[in-house]
Amino acid sequence: MRIPPGVSEKDFSEALRQFEEAVGKDWVFTSDEDVAMYRDSYSPFWGEPDELVASAAVAPDGVEQVQKVVRIANTFKIPIYAISTGKNLGYGGSAPAYSGSVVLDLKRMNRILEVNEKNAYCLVEPGVSYFDLYRYIQEKGIKLWVDVPDPGWGSPVGNSLDRGGGYLLPQFRNHFDSHCGMEVVLANGEVLRTGMGALPGAKTWQEYKSGFGPWIDGIFSQSNFGVVTKMGFWMCPAPDSYLAGTVTVPRYNDLSPLIDILGYLENTGCTNGMPFFGSPLLARGPLGQGGPVPDAELTALLDREGGPDPDAMDAYAAKKDIPHWSCTVSFYGGPKANQGNWEFAQEKFSAIPGAKFSFGGAYKLPLTPEVQAKFNLPQFGIPSLQMFSIGARSETNPTPGEGHIWFSPIIPRTGEAVFEANRVFRAAAKELGLPVPTFSLPTCYWERAFIFLFGFPITHDVETNKKNRAAFRKMVAIAAEHGWGEYRTAPAHQRAVMDTYSFNNHALLRFHETLKDAVDPNGILSAGRYGIWPKHLREDEKV
Amino acid sequence: MASRREFLQASIVALALPITAQAGLSTAAAASDSALRVIPLYKAIFDERFPASVAFGAEAHSLGLSAYSIRGDITDLWFHDLDAQWKKKPVAVAGLTEQGPLFCLERLAWDHGMRVVYRGDHRYLPSDAIEHTLTGPEGALRQAALLENDGWAARVAAILARLPEGPSAPAKIAVRGRAKAPAHAEPEDLISWVIAPVAGARIMRQA
Repeated sequence: MRIPPGVSEKDFSEALRQFEEAVGKDWVFTSDEDVAMYRDSYSPFWGEPDELVASAAVAPDGVEQVQKVVRIANTFKIPIYAISTGKNLGYGGSAPAYSGSVVLDLKRMNRILEVNEKNAYCLVEPGVSYFDLYRYIQEKGIKLWVDVPDPGWGSPVGNSLDRGGGYLLPQFRNHFDSHCGMEVVLANGEVLRTGMGALPGAKTWQEYKSGFGPWIDGIFSQSNFGVVTKMGFWMCPAPDSYLAGTVTVPRYNDLSPLIDILGYLENTGCTNGMPFFGSPLLARGPLGQGGPVPDAELTALLDREGGPDPDAMDAYAAKKDIPHWSCTVSFYGGPKANQGNWEFAQEKFSAIPGAKFSFGGAYKLPLTPEVQAKFNLPQFGIPSLQMFSIGARSETNPTPGEGHIWFSPIIPRTGEAVFEANRVFRAAAKELGLPVPTFSLPTCYWERAFIFLFGFPITHDVETNKKNRAAFRKMVAIAAEHGWGEYRTAPAHQRAVMDTYSFNNHALLRFHETLKDAVDPNGILSAGRYGIWPKHLREDEKV
Repeated sequence: MASRREFLQASIVALALPITAQAGLSTAAAASDSALRVIPLYKAIFDERFPASVAFGAEAHSLGLSAYSIRGDITDLWFHDLDAQWKKKPVAVAGLTEQGPLFCLERLAWDHGMRVVYRGDHRYLPSDAIEHTLTGPEGALRQAALLENDGWAARVAAILARLPEGPSAPAKIAVRGRAKAPAHAEPEDLISWVIAPVAGARIMRQA
């Protein structure tokens, strides 16, 4: 049995015995086989000595048991690492950031405490998955949608605390932004409720976010200042209808006005569905699907020193008679409103000479199963696992890996930034021996910024993983040099990413550490998560 | 009008290969196996896009198993069937699919006290060859040599339909057989698998 670092075997044995008293013998896991369930399936250190692994796991069934476990951990200074459903693959999964920690598995806390249809919110425990919430809504005929990530087997609590995103209307896509109120067990075992929840008997805990005084919810996201045991979320009332349309624009430099006009339409509420960029010329579909390998002429154009020449790209596009860019916009609402907004959007996009439009259909909601098959289900609040069928061995993916981690920098919402990011990342990929993307288009989870998503493959080959880890960190550094910060990353790279947020001698990290020392002096909660290490591990430079 | 799934079920019946009685079980093997308990399979999963997988499904159907078709995505199978079933009572499932379906089902099954108790990696090689690497109960692997012959996918179904129950240290074996190279857009490797309840494994989610 593995012992957490810095803990004696005697103390660990006693702590395990007390954990068993607190949660029941059946819910403390120490066998190698059970603890192996908590390995990160997408670990970039798979099979290496530095792979982050748990020593044991404890699964409480309610907040009172969480409090007991935390108090015991504090007594014996056992590092614990909270997970909800443990499906954060691509960003760390269920393995702790500090190897040897005891995983605090909240999966048994899977109660849906309230779904309020009239005011469109829910209150859930951490073990509730998106599938669980969707099934609950369907079985009870509640006319609400939940904004789901893709894949949908994670949990609203887990995904939002890692600041993941989804596919519905903008006010729901940023999953942390759409939460309202949380309950947290602190390192000393006390229970805290945020926002209006701090008022006993509050009637608006899931309706008014900030409560009174400093709004502290954010400090419990991407951090290790407490164990969240309940969270409220605003949900989307089931829309009446859906309409989609696509605009294509012919020239290379048309991307800039395309993005600017889209920004206007989104920020004024005209388009409220998630937009998708594509490139018919560069064979990237609206969901980022890749096409055939570009021909030699196109590759040469893209590889030009200093980036593609717009005139040369336009000549190539004219020869192929294929437009450079596309943007699929969508609308949720009443059918007349959707049609009117689509007409207005076309009017605005028509400021770009040569813009053409294609109608993607107007549908009454909910979609029939036959129509659903044409769409990406998360755009309709339906969780899916279809993503796992992508990545299989194919002509364009001859060497599929064992998973991936996401390199996911945030860039400005401008055409200039998209062009610059492509030039920089293309050059970096070539230098680092990585697959060179033809042209990467941003994803539009967030209202006011773009995100680029690049999957770094994980393999079970040590040398390949080592090379990819080094390349990942180099890409993070290159992105930071250009003012593009990572928004989220796996524990293997959290320190490296946090190091790039270095304004004023790492003032932000120093602030995090001040908070950490105050609220968790023994450093028992999720040590190392998002680069926040407890005092005793920082000072000794043990990590 | 038949639903898509019903149509596929009809296609499987039409495809039923005359392998059933000869599914690779020698008389001696059958006699000794008759004393073993076999894992009852709730469903056999096949991917309708891949002929080898369809052949697996056809054989499973002809052996009396419930064969279920997917197109790489197990969402419907899990959400509308296995999730509720496994919460009530964990039951074993088998399949011949790409890695994605197995990856998802394996992890979903963990919470129901289930594990992968058998895995076969079937990798097409140049010159119409195929390599089968099987890991599972020794009793099942005794049949591995049968995969050297034509119709390997159907034979895999026959092996899995009689997978012995009970704890045993997994054995591993690799054999090579003959098989036409997969057509364009078919995968170069498929995985056969069985996920089954394992005594003593933790159950985290129940009805």
